[in-house]
Amino acid sequence: MPAEDTAKPAPRLTLKGQLDDMALLWPWVEDVVAQYEIPANVAFDIHLCLEEAISNVIRHGYGGEPGHALTVDFASRDAHHVVFTIEDQAPPFDPLTASLIEDQPAASPEDYLRPGGRGILLMRKFAGTLAYERLAGGNRLTIGFVLPG
Amino acid sequence: MQLSTQDLDGGVTRVELDGRMDIAGAAAVDLKMNLIAGSAKKLLIDLQKVAFLGSMGLRSIVLPARAVMSRGGKVVLFAPNEMVEGVLKASGIDSLLPIHHDLAAAMAALQ
Repeated sequence: MPAEDTAKPAPRLTLKGQLDDMALLWPWVEDVVAQYEIPANVAFDIHLCLEEAISNVIRHGYGGEPGHALTVDFASRDAHHVVFTIEDQAPPFDPLTASLIEDQPAASPEDYLRPGGRGILLMRKFAGTLAYERLAGGNRLTIGFVLPG
Repeated sequence: MQLSTQDLDGGVTRVELDGRMDIAGAAAVDLKMNLIAGSAKKLLIDLQKVAFLGSMGLRSIVLPARAVMSRGGKVVLFAPNEMVEGVLKASGIDSLLPIHHDLAAAMAALQ
């Protein structure tokens, strides 16, 4: 449950790199959404993209092994743009150029079952902007959303 | 995430999903969905009360649906909200599993 109304959302969420920690994502995003009055449809897109991006790091970047940190930072750039930045310590992986998710015209059931397949494609469709940077010891994925109005 | 079932006319099994089909929600219903898919021949997956659908949630719908269809059964998706339907369409799932918003039409599609 959210804290008192006066509580500001933590600008940074730190996860331990295990899927159980994903449970922390939802309330953190809900706090941010409430604080910045982000509309429900954009909040939906945010949940979708963050769940996809983070679970991808945990399952594939970290191979399901705990003990690796992962951070999510929120920033409101202006009245119409919000940005989430995910940083990990995983081996290099750029989801934006991964060859397995090139735009495929037809979906086959296998696409949904293959990790890193359609999920990343969904993220690409529902994010406003996506940018990848290779860090010295990890990866940084920046996901932006446009607010209406 | 809650799951309930109801037997409708014509041998149709209605599965009502209620909650968020995120990673935790998907894990919570996987076993029940697979059990239902093991016996149902005509499956109506009621998404009216699904507030969120991610890729793991999609998987929890597609795998059981495919199991039913592989045995010659039929599966339809019923009444997703606009955002959930957006995910279904963006992923192409709607080409595999028809989406209906009218219950009579959904029932007819299963016959």
